[in-house]
Amino acid sequence: MADRYSFSLTTFSPSGKLVQIEYALNAVNQGVTSLGIKAANGIVLATEKKSSTPLIDPASSSKISLITPNIGMVYSGMGPDYRVLVDKARKVSHTGYKRIYNEYPPTRILVQDVARVMQEATQSGGVRPYGVSLLIAGYDEGIEPEQQNAKPAGAEETAVDDSAEDRKKTTGKTGGILKGGPSLYQVDPSGSYFPWKATAIGKSATSAKTFLEKRYTEGLELEDAVHIALLTLKETIEGEMNGETVEIGIVGPPANHLLGYEGVEGAQGPRFRKLSPQEIEDYLTNL
Amino acid sequence: MSSPFSINGGACVAMRGKNCVAIACDLRLGLQSLTVSNNFPKIFQYSPTAFLGLTGLATDVSTVSELFRYKVNMYRLREERDIAPKTFAQLVSSSLYERRFGPWFVSPVVAGIDGKSGAPFICGFDSIGCIDYAADFIVSGTASDQLFGTCEGLWEPDLEPDDLFETISQALLNAVDRDALSGWGAHVYIIEKDKVTKRLLKGRQD
Amino acid sequence: MAALSHHHLSSTAPFAFQQAPPQNHSGEPTQHAFYPYTDNGGSTLGISGKTFTVIAGDTRSTSGYNINTRYAPKLYPIGGQGPTHKGSKIVLSVVGFAADGRALQERLDTVVKMYRYQHGCEISVKACAQRLSHILYNKRFFPYYVQAILGGIDEETGEGALYSYDPVGSYEREYCRAAGAAASLIMPFLDNQVNLKNQYEPAAVSGFDKKQLVPQPLERPQVEELVRDAFTSAVERHIEVGDGLQMMFITKEGIEEVYFPLKKD
Repeated sequence: MADRYSFSLTTFSPSGKLVQIEYALNAVNQGVTSLGIKAANGIVLATEKKSSTPLIDPASSSKISLITPNIGMVYSGMGPDYRVLVDKARKVSHTGYKRIYNEYPPTRILVQDVARVMQEATQSGGVRPYGVSLLIAGYDEGIEPEQQNAKPAGAEETAVDDSAEDRKKTTGKTGGILKGGPSLYQVDPSGSYFPWKATAIGKSATSAKTFLEKRYTEGLELEDAVHIALLTLKETIEGEMNGETVEIGIVGPPANHLLGYEGVEGAQGPRFRKLSPQEIEDYLTNL
Repeated sequence: MSSPFSINGGACVAMRGKNCVAIACDLRLGLQSLTVSNNFPKIFQYSPTAFLGLTGLATDVSTVSELFRYKVNMYRLREERDIAPKTFAQLVSSSLYERRFGPWFVSPVVAGIDGKSGAPFICGFDSIGCIDYAADFIVSGTASDQLFGTCEGLWEPDLEPDDLFETISQALLNAVDRDALSGWGAHVYIIEKDKVTKRLLKGRQD
Repeated sequence: MAALSHHHLSSTAPFAFQQAPPQNHSGEPTQHAFYPYTDNGGSTLGISGKTFTVIAGDTRSTSGYNINTRYAPKLYPIGGQGPTHKGSKIVLSVVGFAADGRALQERLDTVVKMYRYQHGCEISVKACAQRLSHILYNKRFFPYYVQAILGGIDEETGEGALYSYDPVGSYEREYCRAAGAAASLIMPFLDNQVNLKNQYEPAAVSGFDKKQLVPQPLERPQVEELVRDAFTSAVERHIEVGDGLQMMFITKEGIEEVYFPLKKD
């Protein structure tokens, strides 16, 4: 009779597994492949936009979403669940951060907030886990003085920086809250999250990751990353590859033309933006 | 006289200098004309370079300072970094506005130096969180009129740390000497990029 | 500037088309009150030196947020000959209710002139100061709504003499004094810069051994700069102060008037 009172679908099995989460991961692994690559100066998110019929209007469906001006997100798994998470992520970035500090959350903070939403669905009554894995890409301004970032792009980090001997010793980390820069995270239905240099999720995640391992190099430029992203997608894509069937979002330099106004000193455009079908076509012709 | 802002008395002032800021407060705690304590500092530190001065109702000064201690500690644990003065100012603003219809009876002042750019930052607030960004100085408390006069008369741009200390000290001391509810010594903080100097001023003991 | 203010206890209009007088909700008749005073704002200050006294005041006159005029002097030479006060060496400044200030000036001026007719010599500042106190106290229960400052030259020493008053005649001889709307802003600045309050000998002695700097009588250029600084500061932070700064320097030679424009915003 115990199950009369157990509203939670996610209950431990005797072997210590939460099978509902595993089922959710199965849903993810049946989903369309998405990938993300972190470059020295930005991040690329890419996915295939599959449609079962030529009658669909490709411009009206979208899988890569802007969360804050500097953070974007893509998924593999169940589309409707993703849209709910996008709404919640956008909302929490304001209620939990911008309305308090009048600035947008750093990438890791947003990732943690989204991960909490997903985790709560594994421990609450009357709900099921989200059937999606997410790739969240963002750029942080950082709070440490600029000098530490002034190193030549791609240079190997050394343990001791003589230009700042009295500062905390620099870590090998790239991006993040303190130093600033791009960061890329994966969030799973369980609510666990991982930082990546490059990764893929969904149906062909395994083969895509193997491909990325071969292609990825330290100190990659954003342009090269877009190139690699398309090459990786090409390995796994099932249909035709064009501006209509491929979706790309980038985190790059501030896009001041998207601000909608000009002449305001210090105003900075969004770093996250989606590439137009035309831009994608241009990349594809150069592939 | 029965305004919650002037029961306990007290004064606070912040000033901008060249690559430095200063913040100072008096030490009196009173119950109307009765002086209860001469060791009630009104400046609180929330990160290596972010300081908050609180004048007004003493019970709210204590409560609000502890509330921000909690909020800033949570921020530091969550984000693994110290809060920047500008961010802290926004936190103060939103926290005060949360109590829009039952405000804390305090007049906060924030002073600090931005860790990234090294830029000096000062600002003040009304009791419901409206921010007053100032390029020169911010005053608050029962001696605010007097402080406006002394600061406006003594302050000049681009003061070096030592000169800023002298200026803010003279501005505060002479202001509180003309306010019966403030005085009894002072705390002065001079905040530079990676150095904070705290000094205790004796002042008139009446 | 006397104001007739209506204190409506009822929510109905103060005028009525009906026969019955306006009624408030409790049924009692609406009461009207007469408040004979207005605060016309502005600020004054005085500083006495070794051989002179300066009295200064801004020239703005306000009622509430309204500016009546940008040039309404608050400084009055007292005594001397005729309506131009020729040869006068006493200046009265009044701030508060301008009409009372004007009435007070007339009274004191008349008294001082009468003094000369009766005694055949000019009144001393000391005596004039005492007399002003009596004039104010005479209206102890319907006071002149003013803060007065009286400046002149002390005949015995030749030094500047400065007296400050409350509205009912309490007075004191001082080295410096600010009065009026921005008095709370200006006074601590003067404490610091004229009386050198909170300033100590720089010989780095701490604690109880430290020695207060002894105020020295200031020279005229220094004083003029202090007065200008005090007023430009007050103008920045007080809306009732501004437009123009009028200064009167009283020496044994007589009165010299200086006008200095202030911000008009």
